[in-house]
Parts: sequence; structure tokens; C-alpha cells
Amino acid sequence: MLISIKWLSDYVDCPISPERIADGLTMAGLEVESLSLRYPQLKNILTSRIEAVEPHPNAELLKICVVSGPGGLRRIVCGAPNVRAGAIAPLALPGAELPNGLVREIKVRGELSKGMLCSEKELGLGEDHSGIWILPADTPVGVPLDEALGIRDLLMEVGITPNRGDCLSVVGIAREAAALCKTSVKYPPIAVDETGPAVDTLTTVTVDDPEGCPRYTARVIQGVKTGPSPEWLKDRLEALGVRSINNIVDVTNYVMMELGQPLHAFDFNRLLQRRIVVRKAEAGERFITLDGIERELPEGAVLICDGVGPVAIGGIMGGLNSEIEPDTRDVLIESAYFEPLSIRRTSRMLGIKTESSYRFERGTDPGGVLRALDRAAELMLEVGGGSIAAGRIDVYPNPIKAQEIVLRVDRANRFLGTRLSSREMKEILERIEMRAEALDSDRLRVIVPSFRGDITREVDLGEELARISGYDGIPVTSPAAAVEAAAFDPHQRVRGELKNLLAGAGFFEVINYSFISYESIRRLRYSEGDPRLAPIRLKNPLSDEQAVMRTTLLPGLLQNARYNFDRRSENFSIFELSKIFLPRKDGLQAEEPHHLAGVIAGKRVSQALYGDADVDYTDVKGVVEALCRFVRIDDVVFRAQSLPPWLDPCASASVFAKGERVGELGRVHSEVLEAYDLKRPIFAFRLDFDRLFALKGPVPVYKALPKFPPVPRDIALIADEKMPVEEPFDFIRSLYEPLLESVEIFDIFRSDQIGTGKKSIGYRLTYRAEDRSLTDEEVNALHVELVRKVTARFGISLR
Amino acid sequence: MKEAVEKLVETACRALSGLEEDPRALDQARIRFLGRKGELAQLFKELGKVPEQERREVGRLLNVAKLRLEEIFSEAALRSRDLEAARRESIDVTVPGRLPPAGRLHPITQTAMEVCRVFNWLGFETVEGPEIELDYYNFEALNIPKDHPAREMQDTFYISEEVVLRTHTSPIQVRTMEKRKPPVRVIAPGRTYRRDSDVTHTPMFHQVEGLMVGKGICFGDLKGILTTFVHQMFGPEVGLRFRPSFFPFTEPSAEVDIECVMCRGGGCRVCKGTGWLEILGSGMVDPEVYKYVGYDPEEVTGFAFGLGIERIAMLKFGIDDLRLFFENDLRFLEQF
Repeated sequence: MLISIKWLSDYVDCPISPERIADGLTMAGLEVESLSLRYPQLKNILTSRIEAVEPHPNAELLKICVVSGPGGLRRIVCGAPNVRAGAIAPLALPGAELPNGLVREIKVRGELSKGMLCSEKELGLGEDHSGIWILPADTPVGVPLDEALGIRDLLMEVGITPNRGDCLSVVGIAREAAALCKTSVKYPPIAVDETGPAVDTLTTVTVDDPEGCPRYTARVIQGVKTGPSPEWLKDRLEALGVRSINNIVDVTNYVMMELGQPLHAFDFNRLLQRRIVVRKAEAGERFITLDGIERELPEGAVLICDGVGPVAIGGIMGGLNSEIEPDTRDVLIESAYFEPLSIRRTSRMLGIKTESSYRFERGTDPGGVLRALDRAAELMLEVGGGSIAAGRIDVYPNPIKAQEIVLRVDRANRFLGTRLSSREMKEILERIEMRAEALDSDRLRVIVPSFRGDITREVDLGEELARISGYDGIPVTSPAAAVEAAAFDPHQRVRGELKNLLAGAGFFEVINYSFISYESIRRLRYSEGDPRLAPIRLKNPLSDEQAVMRTTLLPGLLQNARYNFDRRSENFSIFELSKIFLPRKDGLQAEEPHHLAGVIAGKRVSQALYGDADVDYTDVKGVVEALCRFVRIDDVVFRAQSLPPWLDPCASASVFAKGERVGELGRVHSEVLEAYDLKRPIFAFRLDFDRLFALKGPVPVYKALPKFPPVPRDIALIADEKMPVEEPFDFIRSLYEPLLESVEIFDIFRSDQIGTGKKSIGYRLTYRAEDRSLTDEEVNALHVELVRKVTARFGISLR
Repeated sequence: MKEAVEKLVETACRALSGLEEDPRALDQARIRFLGRKGELAQLFKELGKVPEQERREVGRLLNVAKLRLEEIFSEAALRSRDLEAARRESIDVTVPGRLPPAGRLHPITQTAMEVCRVFNWLGFETVEGPEIELDYYNFEALNIPKDHPAREMQDTFYISEEVVLRTHTSPIQVRTMEKRKPPVRVIAPGRTYRRDSDVTHTPMFHQVEGLMVGKGICFGDLKGILTTFVHQMFGPEVGLRFRPSFFPFTEPSAEVDIECVMCRGGGCRVCKGTGWLEILGSGMVDPEVYKYVGYDPEEVTGFAFGLGIERIAMLKFGIDDLRLFFENDLRFLEQF
């Protein structure tokens, strides 16, 4: 909320500067977001006297004015017809920022002008542009213009939290400033000059919805003259950003800004039967609000009606049928207290937010409606004349009782960590207009003023104590809790470890939005019916690009690849380890498993000097093998089966850990690359992290290091290109030869000599015994037998 | 004679400098000074002419000088051999090293890990919760009923009437207290979502939530723990202040500002001239929240806090554009 410091000072005498007030309010929970000049364009504008006027040597229509200014006389080129020696006018110095631009020293037709004499319009203070603004002859010279005009003011933008509806007014802020300065608020004195007939002879008010409208008060003023507001009233409203409409409406806005109580003024003669009925809206009821829009009212909304039909939506907006018109003579002023939740609900359902609804839904002061009503009547009389009917209508069937709270001094101190005495607490609370009396040495009975609807509990008083005495003053302590070590969740820990492993292997971690476009999943070529094509949808997404919760990490990673390709990053490895979202059977919430996926592209080695080979299938496979090894899963196999459609079936595999499918890897399908507009090949892997984690191997048990030397022997096989190199390998291992320690593929090559469609594979077998050194004869015998079995099984020839 | 000996050593040292490069010149110099007819030998010959009473002393000096010269020459010979070897088989030491692969964790991850680590040291256990959350946990049980103006503070993505993308990590407070009896001391990092996208907001961002509930925990303890955190995270010299604020699920509530890390409190663009940066929200858990989880507010008290990871990461690394975090530009990721 914007607050004018000048207006504020009507209600509170603060001996400190506006900056200190702003700081103090911020530290009391009313964050001052800015403090700025009311007329920022008047910076560097001074009053100056035109000492002499000379003709411009090069232009007939221009003149050179010699004016007084800082540092002596200065010459100003001016084209205004009304310049004359002796006149006092506003002078913009170089550096002044006027609405039309920056003022600079500039040569005008060959003559240097050190500033500019301004019109009202150029200063943004009026419409007059017939000439420069000639100020009254008694205007002091050489002072800032805003001071000379008496319009110097600072505006404070205060962020009001939703609980502090009571601060949405100048007086509300004045109360906080008064607490800050340990003084009290000077409420505007009110004297209503009632000269008209008794109000109850003119009208009646019936409230049929006392829940929605607990209190409704009204006054009638007759014979007013509707017209433009006086300058002071316009000026105050404009300072706070409120547009002036006419004197009657302006008064209601003025009182709302001053006291925080929204009011409504009805054209009394347009209220049919000249009476008010407050009731709940019925289903389907329609009504034209004063912005000219016909609206269907939500059932149960508080409706203000005349003797026949609706005239306003209570607390939100008036109706076109009863608004103040230029010919309005008699006015009914409404000052009511509406139930905050009811206003909030109606406002949300209608999609209307007004200054009025904003205040009512945050809670206004049920005890302050009469003060506002009287203040409005008084001001309307002042600005519009007429006569105020005697008395007020006040329908308040169930008066809201003042909150009475018992505050336990010791408990409050223990809760806050303070050592305030009962007397100190009483004093602090009284600074914010609470009444407090000691019940006994530990307890205070506190009566909360009606404007503080947010304070209903002992703990709320604790907050006020802390806030007003200052958070800074509360000693910093260490919790006296038992020493307990924090437990660590292994799932989180392994996630962290795998991320570090991948970073160490050259991968950069990316973080993508959890919501993606539906189209981006379709681009992965999944067929209809695939669960990935049934994502959870947002009801109110910001765009189609962020419309569904991701069912796979791939779209994000492929888009990252595209983004980086476009920026000439062509060699990279990136990964994401995060959640995907799948609908849950119960329809509520979601399954949120963690997935781990990565893509690699470009060169295997980052330095061209040391190699220019491109990454291929073996790179992604190696990463997955390393990840599995890290979580101690030994039984991992890769098979070209059950492949997802986004992978190229020629160069991809599914990953089976302990027989369970946990993911896939390989070359991304060319159609997918095309759909994602990727111009270079991409290799990718994807793993169900949660499954991998579940299959995680146990803590390893130490095996004694071998004492005897290994004996290596090689086999070279020439095999058909189609035969997986792993097959003989698995076969050898399946023989369970106890002296065979390990098998490794050490060479694969193709050549003309071997023949097309063939490859040569070299296997290195390592033999070792635990209890002795093996002899050559022993190993040779074993090896020959083994080679025989291999060739017998595969029918492949030794090279 | 003494002067002659000293002078000889000095001349030899001077003559040697630079001779390592040239083994032949070095050899000639050795003969010149240490050879059989060399300059030192000449001096030895003159020893006989020295008066009797000084002869002993001069003889000693000559021997010292001889040892010294031999030492100098053998060192020079060693250096000369090394140089010779290096000339024959040395590599170009400026050739680029073969870099092992090296990636990086995302700056958000790094920052979240560091925040959690600080609190883990303080005895807080890391817990997590669902991102697709029930309205009940995200709002209701945090004392934010439907039609409460506080809901306006957070623009929400809805999945259905009752299911939302969590707008903060605070629902984890409720879920944790439902499952555990006090004392509770947890920290909860995670993704959060608000329907807002502009220069200073992304629709997804990260928070870390903290909760400590037990017997006798007071507002001063909240200040204590968060002061420790700020000093661990930003350095012990960084000032901080606690400022009253409002959250429906804490009472009293406090925003924590730290002295601007850019200008050290002087006022700059980053802190909008105030010298302070808001980094987290906190407060004493509101008794209403305890009612939802079955804790007795007369028995236990505690505090909660929440902070934005992006904000902390931006301050820590001097990042000035929030959106960079989710563009995943390699040139950005490589910097951390």
C-alpha cells in the first residue's frame, strides 16, 4: 500500500526522519519496499527569477533569459511568449528528468542554454502549455520547486502481509508508527452537523444475512451538489494512486484510504422504495455492476438490495442502477462489516478484485464502521453541501465481542527466549492499543482492540511482544536438545554417489522442468496405449510446453542436446537423476520413481590432439556397466531385445540386472533425432534408479589376495560377424573350471584375410591355483581341453 | 698472499658461471685453476716465500681454497652432464596434458548439498516428500484453508481440485510430524512449483525446508540455529537480521536478511540499495499445525524455516539471471 508521509503526519508526530520510520516499520513486520519523492520529476527544478530578457541573435521567435540560478546568473534560451524580466518561474537544471526527457546543456541556434524554463505541462503538474509557468511574485527564489509550492512529499510503498488488514490505511500505518515512536495516534476529530430530518423517517435497513453481513450502518445526506472534488481531495487521492471521480465517490475513497473502511454511496432516490435489504444471492441471479458488466452471482454472495432488487454486491462492487450520477442530490452512505471468508469466496468466484474486496477479505474493523460513516458524512457536507439527516442506522444484531486473552508471562518468555517482566509486557501491548491488566504475578488479561481481528490466541500476543520489542533484542541461544546424530537415508546417499561418479566420468548434471509438452513424449515414437503417453496433466499450465508431468527424462535431455548443438557445443555428456511422474491407481497424487538418464555426443576425447574418434555404443554401455559395478550388481547382461522405440534397434540394448530389466541404452533412433531437430548422432542411456537401488549388492566380504602367480593363455577364434562376442565367453565361464580365474576379450579385428562377414576375437584366459604355482604342463592340458570344448560348441576355427 | 688466495677463488667462481653449457671450456677452466701447473699450484709453490710465522696459516688457507675449488668444479661438471643429457633427450614440457574426463554437478545440486550438509552437522536428518501433493498437506494442514487470502501469496498449479504441485517444501513438515513423535529435527530439500514465469520467477524452483520440534525450543533457538547456518554458508563475518513477517503456519514469523554479499551492506543493485538480502522465511510452528498432527502445543514447541536454493546459489556464485539454471547451457554448467 502507498502511504503519503505528509498525510501520515496528520495523525502521528514522529520526531524521526521518514527514512527511520521506514526502517522501523520494516523491522516491525511492515516491509517498506520503497521510499520515493511524490514528484520525482521535480528533482533539479528550482524557482528562479528572470533578471533580463535579450533577443536571440539568430532566431526571431526565441529569446535569451538571464536568470538567477545556483552559482550565479545563467543564460537560458526560451521560446515562450510570456517571458518577462522580474517574473519568477520554474527552472530545470541540466540533469533534471522531466516527463518528456532529460534536460541537458544544449546549443539552441548557436546559443548555449544552461537549463530550461518550464510550463506546468512540461513539469507534469498541469495541462497549461501556453507559456512558461509564471509563479506568484512572493514565491521564494532559488529553492526546490516542490518546497516552494508546498507539495513536497514522500511516498512509502508498504508491503502488507495478508494478516494485517488493519494496516491498509493511513491511520493503520500511523498506529504502527506511533508504537514505534512511543506516542499515540491523533485520530481525525469528527463533528457531524445533523440538520436534516431523522434518518429513520427517510429509510430502513433490513439484514437477512447476518452471517455474511454482521453489521450494516447507514446515513443519509440530502441536497448535495455532485461535482468535481476540491484540489486538496484530488491531490490526496492521486498521491495514493486513486483516480478522482466526483466529490461524493472521492469522499468514500478518501475515508477508505484514511481509515481502512470501504464505503459505498448510493443515489438515494434511485433506491426503489428508498430502503436497503441485505440478503444472500439466490442461484442464477444476475446483476449489472457499475463497470457495466452483467454478472451471474454465486449463490450465497452477500447482496445489497433496495425494495425490489439488487443494487450492489456487498463488499465488492456497486451496481450501475444506483451509482452516483452528476444529478445525484440525495445520498445513502453505507458503512458495513462483511464476513472476510464470504467476500473472499465471492470475489474469487466472480474474478473481481477491488480495493474494497481486498480490505474486507483481510478483515476490517467491525468497531470502526460508525467512525468511518460519520467521517464520510462530515466530508460530503464539506465538499458537496446539503444537510445530513439526524441519527444513524446501525443494524448489528450480534455484536462481535472484543477478544480477551490471558497471557502467561513465564510461558511467553520461555517461548520467545526473553526475560520481559509483566510490567514490560503490559507496556509493550499498550503501545499497540491493547488494554492489559495483571490478574496475578504471572498472568495478564489482555483486551484486543476491534481492528486487530488477527489476534485471537495467546501465541498471537507472543508475536506482538516480539515484534514491538524488536526481534533484534531476543537473545541468540542454542537449543537444549539431546545430542542425536542425524540418520542418513541410503537412497539419497546412493543418488549423491552416482551423481559424483558420473561427474567424475565427465558428465555434467542438468536440471530440467518436471513438466514438458505432450508432443515431446510423442516424438519418442511410443505407440498408442503406452503408459508414457498417459501422463498426469496440469489443469492450469502456463503453456503447452509445460502441460504434462514428465513420464520420461529423455525429452528434457534431448532438448538440452539441441540447445547446446545450436550454441556450438558439440561434444558433451550430460545426465539427469530425478523423478518422473506416473498416475497412481487410486487417482490421487502419483508414483514418483527416480530415473537416471544421460546422453552423450561428439568426440570421445575432449582434446583433438589426443584423438578424434566419435563416441559410440561402447561409451554409453561402459557408463552403465560402471554404474552397475558401483552399486555392486555383478549379474548384468545387455540384450538387443524389448527395446523402446526411441532407440535404434541396430545399436541398442536393454539392461538386465539380476534378470530384471532396469533400463536401456544405445544410439537414439534417427527419426527421433529428426523430430527433435538434432543434426548429429546421440547415444543415450536410461535406468530405473529405484530398481537399481533395490538390487544393490551387499557390503563386500574380503577375499584373501592370491599368493601364487597367474598363468595366461590366449585363444583366437574366427567367428561369423553375427555371433555375439559374449557367447563363447559365457560358455567358457559356464564350464566352471576351478583353476580358470578370469576370461577377458583382448582383441576384436576384421580383415580381408579373415574374409568378409567374419571377425577374429581374442580371449585371454588366466589360470591360477590358490595353493600352489601351476606348472606349464598342467595349464597346457587344461587349456587344450577347454579350447576343444569351445570349438566343438561353436564350430569356429582357430586362427 | 691471503688476498691472492681469496682472489683466486673469486676469479674461479666468476670464470665458471655459464660454463656448464660448454663442457670443453669447463675442462679448460678446471686445468687453468686446478691443473698441475694451474694457478692454485703456482700459489702453493710460492708458499716457501711466505714468512715463517704466517706460513702455517697461509698453508691452511690454500688447502681450504683447494677443497672449495674442487667442490665448485665437481658441481659444475654434474650440472653440465645433466644439461648435456637433457639436450639429447628432453621433451617439450609445454605440450598439453592429457585431461582425465571431468564433469560437474549442477550448481543447484551443489548448493542444496551444501545447505543440507550444514544442517546435517547440526543434527538435522534429510527427508523427502512427494512433489505431486494433496491440497491437505500443501495448504489445509499448514493452516491455509480454502478462501484464505494467504493462498494468493502462491499461485498454484493444479492437477485436480484436491491435488496440486507442491508450492513449497512445507508439506514435508506435516508429513514428518504425522509419522514421528517429537523430538523432530529434519531438513527437506526438493523441487517446488508456482504458476509464475518472468525475469525473477521460474515455474519450477528448489527449496529446503527445516523443522525442529521438541520440549522447550524457543524463538532464541531459531535465531541461534539460523545464525549458525548463515555463518557456515556465507562466512562468520556476514551480518544478519530477523524481521517480523507472516506465514500462516508459523507464529511469530520471521524473514531472515543477510548483509548484501555484493556490497557488504553499502547498498547496490543486487540488494536494491537496502544493503540487505532476504534469504529465508522462518518462524515458531503455529499451534494450529500441531492440532493437525496430534502434537500438544502446551508440551512441545519448535520452529520451521524454508529457503530458496536458487537464491542462495545466485548469491554464492554471483549469477544474475535465474533462468540460466534451467537452460542447461554447457558453457554455464562448466563454470561451477
